Amino acid sequence: MASFRHWRAVRPFWGGLLLTLGGAEILLTEKASLKVVMHIGMQGLAGYLLPLLMVICGLLILFNPAQRLFYSILGVLASLGTWLTSNLGGFLIGLLLGVVGSCLTFGWLPDQEPRPARSWRRRVRRGHREPAAQP
Amino acid sequence: MASSSGAGPSAGSTPEPSGPPESGSAAETFASPARRGRVRLRRAAVMAVPATAIAAGLMILTAQGALGVQFAISGMPFTVTATNLDGEGFAQFGGLDQMAEGSPNEGDTGGQVLVVVSAIKKATLEKLCQSVDLGGTNLLITAGAGSQKVSATNLTTDSTELSGDAAFDNIEIGNDAGTLDKSHTRGPKGVFSQQADTVHIGNLRQTNYATTAAVFKLPGLKLRFSDQGC
Repeated sequence: MASFRHWRAVRPFWGGLLLTLGGAEILLTEKASLKVVMHIGMQGLAGYLLPLLMVICGLLILFNPAQRLFYSILGVLASLGTWLTSNLGGFLIGLLLGVVGSCLTFGWLPDQEPRPARSWRRRVRRGHREPAAQP
Repeated sequence: MASSSGAGPSAGSTPEPSGPPESGSAAETFASPARRGRVRLRRAAVMAVPATAIAAGLMILTAQGALGVQFAISGMPFTVTATNLDGEGFAQFGGLDQMAEGSPNEGDTGGQVLVVVSAIKKATLEKLCQSVDLGGTNLLITAGAGSQKVSATNLTTDSTELSGDAAFDNIEIGNDAGTLDKSHTRGPKGVFSQQADTVHIGNLRQTNYATTAAVFKLPGLKLRFSDQGC
């Protein structure tokens, strides 16, 4: 359990998970038989490609967090695209999960101050050092 | 600390070592691996603000009927009603829908549902209402209630029930489904079918298993949860 906690701590866990779940939810809402999809052609296929891309990006965020910026940008674009191609983004639920997940991933940074020092002002008052990345 | 992650669930599937490469990629000066990563709000907002704006823009354009959206639903029965449907290029034939293997909706049907496939090349619908029963609550989508009508192209629905007051122009009944030419699709050979140049259905009510890759334009779109279906 401790190793899982550590594994979670060094990657944007919730972002990747939400993006994966969002893609999966959209796929669940459109289980049309593949025969029909092939018949419709590219237009119908796009409805499956975008949520699939979301799932893949979500998993890559979890398992290859070093490239998280690229995956999160790809993920947010795919999530927004599903509104047009896949049942209004899985009836909005999958789209929201995907966008929130991508944004959490984009905003995630490793090696941050521990929780209690979250407030910027409090940290200054206590005399802690500011992280270099902060404006 | 970094060595302890070797026992983590990801260890088998990825060669990615935790810790140092990430801190390097983010240009952090702190190298202590003991510290957790966290979401910085300001950084997240850089993406969240434009993403929200684009999402809102898409929804507004859809609700104005300027953008078409695609539907592909199956496995869950859902109801579609409309006060008026006018279509060009109509075809109808019997078919068998196969659910995904092990689908929870199978019941005692063995995963197969006998359906009537209706295909309309160009359709306009007035007061469209679509509801999916999610068990306890219904997801309700309504559109086209105002002056603008809902329009759909290459609409293919697999329905188990269909009712309404229908009128056809130039109808041919009893064709082989493999020879249909008035609509955008055709059925398997040797199956009964009918086709018509135009179709008008009043008080349409369908129980569908699938609507496939139709491009819908939905002016006046409303998406909500409701106790009652359509």
